[in-house]
Amino acid sequence: MNNWFKSTLFLKIILLLSLFVILVIGGLTFRHISNLTSSTEVVVKTYKVNLELEQIISYLRDAESGYRNYIVTKDTFYIESYLNAHKKVNNSFLNLRNLIKVNSEQQENLKILNKLTDSLFSSFAESKVFVKNDETNTETFKTLFFKEKVIIDSIRRQSMVMFQLENKLLNERQKEFQSDLKFTPLFFYVVLLIMLLLIIIAYTKISNNLKNIKAKNDQLLIFKESTNQSEIIGKHGNWVWHIDSDKYVYSDNLYRLLGEEPQSFEATFDNFLKFVHPDDVGKLAEDLDKMIDVEELPFTNYRIIQKNGTIKYLKAYAKSFYSDSGQKRLLGNTSDVTDEIKSILTLEERNLELEQNNKELSAFNYAASHDLQEPLRKILTFISRLEEKESNNFSDTGQQYLEHIKAAASRMRLLIDDLLQFSRTNKPDKEFVNADLNELFENAKQDLTVIISEKKAQIKIATLPKATVIDFQIQQLFLNLLSNSLKYSKEETAPIIKIYYSKVEADKEPILYKAPQSHYHKITFTDNGIGFDQKYAKKIFDLFNRLHNKQDYSGTGIGLSICKKIIQNHKGFIFANGEINVGSVFTIYLPVN
Amino acid sequence: MQKDYIYIILADDDEDDILFFTDAFDELKINTKVNSFKDGEELMNYLNKDNALMPNVLFLDLNMPKKTGIECLAEIKASQKMSDIAIAIYSTSASDDDIEKTFVLGANIYIKKPSDFKKLKKVLSEVVAINWQYHTNALNKDNFLLRL
Repeated sequence: MNNWFKSTLFLKIILLLSLFVILVIGGLTFRHISNLTSSTEVVVKTYKVNLELEQIISYLRDAESGYRNYIVTKDTFYIESYLNAHKKVNNSFLNLRNLIKVNSEQQENLKILNKLTDSLFSSFAESKVFVKNDETNTETFKTLFFKEKVIIDSIRRQSMVMFQLENKLLNERQKEFQSDLKFTPLFFYVVLLIMLLLIIIAYTKISNNLKNIKAKNDQLLIFKESTNQSEIIGKHGNWVWHIDSDKYVYSDNLYRLLGEEPQSFEATFDNFLKFVHPDDVGKLAEDLDKMIDVEELPFTNYRIIQKNGTIKYLKAYAKSFYSDSGQKRLLGNTSDVTDEIKSILTLEERNLELEQNNKELSAFNYAASHDLQEPLRKILTFISRLEEKESNNFSDTGQQYLEHIKAAASRMRLLIDDLLQFSRTNKPDKEFVNADLNELFENAKQDLTVIISEKKAQIKIATLPKATVIDFQIQQLFLNLLSNSLKYSKEETAPIIKIYYSKVEADKEPILYKAPQSHYHKITFTDNGIGFDQKYAKKIFDLFNRLHNKQDYSGTGIGLSICKKIIQNHKGFIFANGEINVGSVFTIYLPVN
Repeated sequence: MQKDYIYIILADDDEDDILFFTDAFDELKINTKVNSFKDGEELMNYLNKDNALMPNVLFLDLNMPKKTGIECLAEIKASQKMSDIAIAIYSTSASDDDIEKTFVLGANIYIKKPSDFKKLKKVLSEVVAINWQYHTNALNKDNFLLRL
């Protein structure tokens, strides 16, 4: 845009310069032609002056010869030609006076000449009397005659002077004119060269601009085509509303969105409204009115009904903008969001179903384990009553059976307790609090005091941080991991459980390549227990998954699933590493904040 | 009213539990008198009588027909006459929700029914021996649930 502006400015400057140069050329040409004309006039004038002078001389000569003929013949016929010559001389004087009006020197000369001719004619008149009286042989007449000759000579000289002066002037003029004439072609040549240069510059500029425009046009064409394609693929169309003239332009695909052939009807709002769902017409018109006043509005959603009855969901967005000439226009984009809306609806439905299922499952789990507890508790209590009050009445076998019943019931209680725990862990609405993990660990340890002292276990723990967690769940996690290590200890070896802590960056822990957070609390539980085969490292977190038979180890296969669930609730990670007869390592990562 | 025994009321719909409960007090050889009601409504009818003898400790099961333990607890605490009764929640479950709710409503202690008769006796003897004045003043969420 800026470039284009610069280029038009440049062209304007060139045009102005060209106009200026043409004016200069015109002015100079006019000056030269008028100079030429005046020079010619001067030449003509000089020639006229010379001609008149020569005529005067020749008339004088005529007068003289007429006069002389009269003297010789005394025929008055010659007096006629003499008088005629006198008249013509006077005429020529008048002409000359006009011609040399501006030149004072010539005027002086002319005056002298005039005097001379006057004196010549008066002398002629004088001598004419002598001729008439036939006294031509007298001394006086001779003197007179001689005097006339002297005057004629003076006239000749005087006219020569004038003639020369006039020629001198002519020469000067011609010289001046010559120098003008010599300079003019060069000047014209230079000016024409400048003109040519300007034209060449303008031409290059214009052809450059044309090239640019062509390239831009090409780009526009490509852009238009790609817009067309993207509209078809993206199921959207665009429209322009020229508000001042109330004219609409719809893109081809907008027609397709309506289920019509491109440009198959006149683009007007009323024609468009024919497709809009009757329930949405009011809202759409209202939204469009708002769009005129407000620069930008959020999306407006409405439905249309195609001619074949198909209902489509459309989403439109418009923005007003002004043309260079200040006309307001609304540029809009309308897209077909039917698929989106349908899939959102389906998704919502599924989500609701899933949520319902989950709730039911959770309720079922909770109720089942809760309600199962009650009869079980009674069975256990009755067993303890039997043991206490009636054990003497049992045979040995009876005693043994009672022991088995007690073991089975205890195991069932364990299972139910763990299931209950698991179902509680599943409830999502838990409160996160800022808790001291050391305290939570101590609480967990407290719950295991009996078994710790029984097994003579050593527990070494690093200082843990404070963290935002669901406190009772993390306590449960610590409890489960500790009891896991205590449970799966080697028979002859006192368990040693070590807990390490460090704050780590996710980038530096290869195992956390999927981690969304940047920093994690890494807590590692290591023990010297029976360990496990590394190939089960993932499986041990599955619900009800056990690696050992229940005669040897009393696990329910729920404890680690609970751990995993808790860690998931905290958006953390848990990993297990095991080596048979060496021990196991459980590593947990809890997001920092 | 002066009496030389500890008067105990149990509200529980489970006959087995009533049996364990009374058996336990029989064996404990503390001078107690145990009265039991099979549901919340029966209990409240008794307590609301003008001349009703108020118990020293009321053991309240939560899951009862007609009127639940929670409803009874709320009613008792709202009544001027009964609000001083020491109330021990006596329930199969010890879910966080139940513990939280009963604590807020003003119960004095929460007992999870043990599954061992010896333990039951121990729990009951401890509860009966509690100095309620002292216990209530020091009551908080952590010592509300009785742990053995």
